[in-house]
Amino acid sequence: MATPGHRGPHLHAIGPYTRRVAEPHTNTSFTKASNAPRIRPLPALLVNQIAAGEVVDRPASVVKELLENALDAGASRITVDLEQGGIELVRVSDDGQGISPDELPLAIAPHATSKVTEAGDLDRIATLGFRGEAIASIASVSRLSIRSRRPIDTGASQIDVEGDVATPVRPASGPIGTSVTVRNLFFNTPARRKFLRTPTTEQGRCMDWLRDLAMAHPAIGFTVTNDGRRSLELPPNQSPRERVLAIIGKELEDQLIEISVDQYDDARGLALWGLVGLPSLARPTSRSQHVFLRGRVIRDRTVQHAIAEAYRGLIEPGRYPTAVLMIEMSPEAVDVNVHPAKLEVRFRDQSMVHSAVLGSIRRALQSRDLTPRLSGATGFGSFNTPTAILPGPTSGSIEPKDFVSFFKRNIPAQFGAGGRLSFDALRRAIERPAPAPLTDAAFPANDLDAPPSPLAPDASTPNALASHPHDNAASPLAPDQLIAAPVPTNRALQVHNSFIVTQDEHGVVIVDQHALHERVMFEYLLQRVASGPLESQPLLMPVLVEATPEQLDLLTPLEPLLTRVGIRAEPLGPRSLGIHAFPTFLFERGVDPVPFMEEILAAAEKDGLAPAEEQALHEVLDMMACKAAVKAGDKMSGDELQALLDLREDVERSSNCPHGRPTTVRITIRDLERLFGRS
Amino acid sequence: MKVICDRSALLNAVNVVSGVVASRSPRPQLTCVKLTAEKSGKVGSLTLSATDAEISIRLRISQVDVTQPGEVLIPADKLRQIVSAEDAAPTLTLESDGDACHIKGDDAHFKVLGYPPADFPAIPGLEATTGKASFTQDAATLGGLIARTVFATARENTRYAINGVLLKRDGKRMEMVATDGRRLALTRTHVAADKDAQPLSCIVPTKALNMLTRLLGNPDEQVRISLTDNQIVFALGETAVLASNLVEGTFPPYEDVIPKDHDIKVTFDRDVLSSAVRRAALLTNEESRGVRMSFKKADKQVELSSRAPEMGEAEIRVDLAGFDGGDIEIGFNPTFITDALKVIPENQVIMELKSSSKPGLIKSGTDFVYVVMPVSLT
Repeated sequence: MATPGHRGPHLHAIGPYTRRVAEPHTNTSFTKASNAPRIRPLPALLVNQIAAGEVVDRPASVVKELLENALDAGASRITVDLEQGGIELVRVSDDGQGISPDELPLAIAPHATSKVTEAGDLDRIATLGFRGEAIASIASVSRLSIRSRRPIDTGASQIDVEGDVATPVRPASGPIGTSVTVRNLFFNTPARRKFLRTPTTEQGRCMDWLRDLAMAHPAIGFTVTNDGRRSLELPPNQSPRERVLAIIGKELEDQLIEISVDQYDDARGLALWGLVGLPSLARPTSRSQHVFLRGRVIRDRTVQHAIAEAYRGLIEPGRYPTAVLMIEMSPEAVDVNVHPAKLEVRFRDQSMVHSAVLGSIRRALQSRDLTPRLSGATGFGSFNTPTAILPGPTSGSIEPKDFVSFFKRNIPAQFGAGGRLSFDALRRAIERPAPAPLTDAAFPANDLDAPPSPLAPDASTPNALASHPHDNAASPLAPDQLIAAPVPTNRALQVHNSFIVTQDEHGVVIVDQHALHERVMFEYLLQRVASGPLESQPLLMPVLVEATPEQLDLLTPLEPLLTRVGIRAEPLGPRSLGIHAFPTFLFERGVDPVPFMEEILAAAEKDGLAPAEEQALHEVLDMMACKAAVKAGDKMSGDELQALLDLREDVERSSNCPHGRPTTVRITIRDLERLFGRS
Repeated sequence: MKVICDRSALLNAVNVVSGVVASRSPRPQLTCVKLTAEKSGKVGSLTLSATDAEISIRLRISQVDVTQPGEVLIPADKLRQIVSAEDAAPTLTLESDGDACHIKGDDAHFKVLGYPPADFPAIPGLEATTGKASFTQDAATLGGLIARTVFATARENTRYAINGVLLKRDGKRMEMVATDGRRLALTRTHVAADKDAQPLSCIVPTKALNMLTRLLGNPDEQVRISLTDNQIVFALGETAVLASNLVEGTFPPYEDVIPKDHDIKVTFDRDVLSSAVRRAALLTNEESRGVRMSFKKADKQVELSSRAPEMGEAEIRVDLAGFDGGDIEIGFNPTFITDALKVIPENQVIMELKSSSKPGLIKSGTDFVYVVMPVSLT
């Protein structure tokens, strides 16, 4: 394929937006019959077709390459027309600087570019394209024409290419800028054409690229038509936030948190801006993650890992958080010349990127109430639903602005970055008294027999949404007002000894008592372990646990981990081990050592608990938290309920249990109004 | 059945038998009390029977006037609530009506629906105490043995054997042992020499012993204890019979756990140390439970200290009555110490220690030995 040897000699361009006609290979006829295969240079068309295999595999890649050219040309508005999902026609028109008539033939020649002139330029690529391959590759597999006009030209010029046959440049009429039209993609490579999907599918992929590049370039206006129908209209000079919301759907705004980091310092560091979704916006695929580096769409494992890490414990495994990230850094700090498709990049300082992404998202999540709303739980439309793309009359699902701003307020962090938990509060919560004995004389006040809590705010509460749902647009609520006088949360109702129902200033809050208590315990243990091993209670006589020889072999590698949590276990015979010490904490919570040890061994065997990794510690602490927490079905007194609810405020990531399941679901007053048909 | 009962006697009896009634059971009969009214000559009695399928109890009260013998099986909680609530009535009249039972007070009339008495499972009565391995013991001694061990049993442990108290008896002495794996309590008493007595050993569930303690009102009363293959039966005179399934399994080899030697031996006042430990425990929490005990020979003192992250620290000094050996520092779960001190009748208590990682020993008199494993202080 296109090895460096192929393109090496041709990395010389001669001027802005001109492409030098290069004769890369001697034009030997490959039709000459020969029985003994001889090594010979390939004809130019074939070379370009092979190269096209890497760069152009479907209409979407044509869209991407042409858009990148248009963006590099300094356009302020770009129009994209697609027919039959781009299979029949892709036309990208920009209002950029244009190409002079005499340079048009160079534009279609391979490895001709204006963007890179010497090898050193590759270390500081500032443009999206740089390989000088795209147009030639596309031209080799389609009927391509370029019409262009510079501001100084009196008229436009046009060149048409079909296969390797180019027409002479001829005058044409057209506006300032460049318009590239690609018809009948793969007309001369039927094998490739066969692999194209239905026009609908191909259109979807084209739109994915369009949306991505449009998000990355909020200053540029985009107009897209599909088979003559306008499907995307984005005005120029939008802010990144406006652009992202216009594309992924304004109705998601209250579920997105803005992050921003500026450590940009010429050659080093980076600036980062993004919108990341609440855990409830997580999706089963990573398609809702959009990462841009200097306007370029990238898929980078370092960044993906940092995102996943920031959400660890907040979303269930196998789901991906929604995130739009824009990274700016010096061209020298990153190598984009890794793969022809240019999706992969290589950061000079990976760990700096990782920690900037991880840190900024984590801080944002910690400062935010992550409780999912009822409607969030039932799912908003995915990114790719047409309503999310098309603003206008179809966007009936967009919330009224005041309601959005109602949620936009960021709840201040309960404790600063890297802050500490209130151990005393935690201790109070985890020292759960034994379930109160059931005496007929004293039913707890919070039983179902008690009069129901006034879950709907009355007129005296600041949340007047309930009483005046129709006045919202006219008199938006001041967010400050809401903070100043929150609805008291001191009424809690335990339902079926499993869920706690209470209210906050947004509406009804339903808490899974086990999940929340588990998260509280987990955070507590995590902090506690950071300051040394958990207190351990040695045993008078070892507790025997049956184990397989394979499990016994795991004991040695697990030892450092077990020591940290206060467990000492040693093989005791060929098929059993003895627990010699067990954490005080678990004894106090009535956790039996035998099943607990069996569970650790089973997990170690299944997942290969790597003892050095923090993740293994998390897993074991989570097992401890899970065992020690109140269970569904445990009756709790009013004070216990309140203590647990109070901790929800104090504990990081309290919205989700350590497995990532939500601890809390909120039904907003708005949701209730909808349910009762009042809105 | 028709019987007039003294309300307070009935209430006491109902409260006791309610302790073994199954709270939730697929067999509703097990949530009931069976009332049996009997009359021999002019003397009438009412027997309350209850079982949770593991433990069963029969309790007879004589403060009754039986008009018509018979029996009835009604839910225990309703009977208890009614007898308890009828606090203005000195007597209550209970009368069967098919499977139902009428309960009448001064101004109240309850009809409680029940089940056919024949559905109630057969439970051992006094006749069961005439089995082969049987002996008698006075209530005071038996109660003392139970009190000094039962607190140290494990709760709902998968090692079932330590969920009860080991009871051993031979011709010379009776011994009870309990452990939860972290501490062990052993107590023994001499018994009247009996050459014919067969050595016996069994594990009695904690709950049965706690129930038995509630029945041991009169210290001089003789309790007859009999053992069958899988049951132990305690009979108190003519009034009460408690039967329990035994815990199956092998009690751990506890003799090995009791330290044979020590490097330091201190003597202290029970109440003074107990108070000090309780105060030091104020600044411990669930996962930093340990109280550090620094024995200082020079001062003939022990310094107790505790520290809980983010909570605070405590320090208490206790003068020791006797000090034999050198300095040592050791951590204990304070509950384990106070538990033992609570059941020791003597004022002077002895503690023997070897090292900070070896079990400590608390002794009093000749009949109580308590072994406690230190915690690893962090």
